[in-house]
Amino acid sequence: MTSPPVTGPAAVPEHRGGPGPARFRPRRATPAGTARPKRRGLLKYWRQYLAISPFYLIFAAFSFFPVFYSLYLAFQRWDGMGTMQFVGLQQFRFLWDDPVFWLSIRNTLVIWVLSTVPTLLGALVLATLLHSVRRFKGFYRIALYVPNVTSIVAVAIFFGAVFSNNFGLVNAILGTVGISPVPWLSNPWLIKVVIALLMTWMWTGYNMIIYLAGLQAIPTSIYEAAKMDGAGPVRTFFQITVPIMRPIILFTVIISTINGLQSFSEPQVLFASNAANANLGGPGQAGLTTLLYFYQSAFLNNDYGYGAAIVWAFFLLIVVLVVVNWRITTRGRKG
Amino acid sequence: MDLSRRGFLQAAALTAAASGLTVACGGSSGSGGTKNGKNLTLWYWGGALSDKVVAEAKTHFASAVTLTTASIGGDFKQKLTTTLAAGTSVPDITGIKGEDIASFLPNASRFLDLNDLGFKKLSSQYLGWKTKLAQTKDGKQIGFPIDIGPTALFYREDFFAKAGVDTDPAKVAALVKTWDDYFQLGTELQKKNPGTYLVNNISSVFNIAVGQGTQRFIDKDNHFIGDQDHIHAAWTTAIRPYTLGIDAKINDQTWNAAVGKNLLTELGAAWHALDIEQAAPQTKGKWRVCANPVGPANQGGSYLALPKQCRNPEEAFKIISWILSPTNDARGFTDAAIFPAAPAAYAMPAMTGPDAFFGGQKIIEVFGPAAKAIPDSYEAPADAAVMAPYMTELTNIEAKGKKPDDAWKDAVSQAKQIARRQGVN
Repeated sequence: MTSPPVTGPAAVPEHRGGPGPARFRPRRATPAGTARPKRRGLLKYWRQYLAISPFYLIFAAFSFFPVFYSLYLAFQRWDGMGTMQFVGLQQFRFLWDDPVFWLSIRNTLVIWVLSTVPTLLGALVLATLLHSVRRFKGFYRIALYVPNVTSIVAVAIFFGAVFSNNFGLVNAILGTVGISPVPWLSNPWLIKVVIALLMTWMWTGYNMIIYLAGLQAIPTSIYEAAKMDGAGPVRTFFQITVPIMRPIILFTVIISTINGLQSFSEPQVLFASNAANANLGGPGQAGLTTLLYFYQSAFLNNDYGYGAAIVWAFFLLIVVLVVVNWRITTRGRKG
Repeated sequence: MDLSRRGFLQAAALTAAASGLTVACGGSSGSGGTKNGKNLTLWYWGGALSDKVVAEAKTHFASAVTLTTASIGGDFKQKLTTTLAAGTSVPDITGIKGEDIASFLPNASRFLDLNDLGFKKLSSQYLGWKTKLAQTKDGKQIGFPIDIGPTALFYREDFFAKAGVDTDPAKVAALVKTWDDYFQLGTELQKKNPGTYLVNNISSVFNIAVGQGTQRFIDKDNHFIGDQDHIHAAWTTAIRPYTLGIDAKINDQTWNAAVGKNLLTELGAAWHALDIEQAAPQTKGKWRVCANPVGPANQGGSYLALPKQCRNPEEAFKIISWILSPTNDARGFTDAAIFPAAPAAYAMPAMTGPDAFFGGQKIIEVFGPAAKAIPDSYEAPADAAVMAPYMTELTNIEAKGKKPDDAWKDAVSQAKQIARRQGVN
C-alpha cells in the first residue's frame, strides 16, 4: 500500500512531479501551519493517483463490493430476483446442521492435504535436482512449468478419460498386468486421489520455479564451506538449503493453502452435473469441495443467502488454517 | 510548451474516463424505451430451437421488426437470472429450460402474462400438462411451450432376439407393462447375454417412476411430501434392479462407451435417442423403442417467455407463436431433434417417417401417444433442489454399497433440510 507522501517544506522536490527523496522519509510530527502545503501535496500527485486508479476502480467494483455484498447476503434469503428477506443468523444455523456442508469441508481438507504435500515436496526435490543440472536447463524448466499454464478444463477432461472406470487408460494398463479395474471415479477415496493428483500435476512446476529462484540466491560459498566441513548432499539439503529457504517455503505453503482450499474447477469438470442429478461432486458427493457446494447452492438452487453463508464460514476456516500454517512454518525462528 | 508524454497521458486518461461515463449512461437510458420498439432480441441456447426456423422468422417479420438472436452458451439460467435482476439489456424474448421454469414462477411479475397477448386462444393446440407447468397459481401464463421430453423404453433388438424374446415393439411393450415384469425380463435377458445389464443406473428408474405420478416432492400448499408413500414406492422400484444385479451402476461419462456394448435397455426421453445415436453409432439399426413400464413421464422440454421489459409485446408474441406453430414445431424435430409440444405436429410428414437408427421403426407411434398420456403434475420452485439428495443417495448405494434403508433415511432428512432452507414448510 502506498501512503500519501509526507511533504514538509524541506521536502519539496526539485523538479515538477518528481517523487523526490522525501517520499521515503520517516513520518514525523508536522509543524503547525502546514495544512495548505499538505493539501497541495496530495493534489500535486493526482496524475499518479489517476494512473493507478484503474486497478483500484476495477478492484472496488468487481472484488471489494461483491465481497462485502456477499456478507450482507449471508443474512438474507434471496432467490436472485425476488425481494430479499432478512433472516438473521438462520442461514448459519442451517449450515451448522447441514451434513453436506461438513462433508464438503472434509472433502476439501482431504484433497488439500493429498495435493499440497506431494506438490511442495516434489517441487523442492525437483528444484534441487534442476539446480544442479548442467545441460538442457531451459527445456526442463519449461517442461515442468507447462502443466501450470495448461487450461484446467482440458486437463480435467483428460484426467477424466485416463482414469475412466470402465474404459480408461490407467485401468487398461493395470489390466495388462492382471490387476482388476480400479473404480477411480466412483470410490470416495479414489475420487479424491484423482483430484489431488490433477492438482499436484498442475502446481508442482509452479512451486518448483519459485524454489529454484530461491536456490539460485543462496551463495555458493555456503555450500563450499559445508562441503569442506564434510557434509554430504542429504545433510546439506536439510541443514543448509531448507533453513535458508524457509521464507520461500512459507510463501509457497500459504499460497498453496489458499489455492488448494479453493479447488473448484477440477471436481466441477471431472464430475459435471447432469440433468438427472443436480447434485455436484460425483458419486457420493466425494468430490464435492466447499466452493463447489457454494456454487451449487447459490447458482443451481438459487439460494444466494445460503451460498453466501457457506463462503463466509469457509473464509473463517481458511484464515484459521493460514494462521496455523504461519505458526508452524515460522516456529523457532524468533527464539 | 512541451506537449509532453505526461500531458498526452492526462488527455488520454480523461478521454477514456469520459467515454466510459457515456457508455454507462447510454446503457441505462436505452432500456426505458416505448412498447412498440422496432428492435427485438431473442435469447436461446444451442439446440433449443431450430436455427432454420429462427432464421426464417427474421425475414418473415423483417417488415415489422428487426429480430436479433443470440445463442447463449454456458449456464443459461444463471445468465438470465442475473440480467433480469439487473433490469437492463434484458432480452425481449427468452428461452427458459423446462427444469428451470418452476424456479422462475415465484418471480412471474418479471414476465408478461401471455394470456393477455392471445395465448388463451392458442393454448388448446399445445399439451395441457406442459402449458400448466409454466402457469402460476393465479393463472398467469409465463411460458410458451417449445418442446417436451416424453419417455419410452429404448431396447437392443439383437440382445432380445438372442434371448428368444419377440422383438416387435408392441409385443415388448406388452411384456413390460409393470416394473416387476420389466425387471423379470431383465434377469432372463441377462442369463442369455452374459455381462449385460438392464438399466444404466437406478436414478434413471427413480426419475421416471416419480414422473409417472401427479405429485412430486412438494405439494401445492408448499408442504414437503417427499417422505410419503408415492416417493417411497418410486424409491423401492428403483432399488429392485440393484438387488437383482441387473444394474450397470454407471454414473459417469463411461456411459458413452457402455451404451453400445453391454446395456440391454435405456430408459429415457425422446431426445435421448440422439444421445444413443451419437455415443454408439455402430449400433445403428439394432435399437427399438416401446412404451416404458406403467406409463410415460416427462423429462425436460423448454419454453419461450417475454420478460416485462419487452419492447414490443404484440410483435414479440406474434414471433413466438409463429416460431412455435405446429408446422414450424414439427420442423424443429427434423432440424434439432426437439419433440414438439403441439400434438398436431405428430401427424405431419416431418415426424411420421421411419428412423433408420431404429431399424426403420416409426418412433412417433411410440412417443406421440406417450406425449398425450403424461399426467398433470405440480412442480414446486424448489422441486429440483429437493430431488437432488434422493439422486445422490441412489448413487451412494451404487458406488459405496450403502444400505438402501439408510440411504432412504438420509435422503429424506437432507431433502427436508433443503426444503426448509428454500422456505417450504
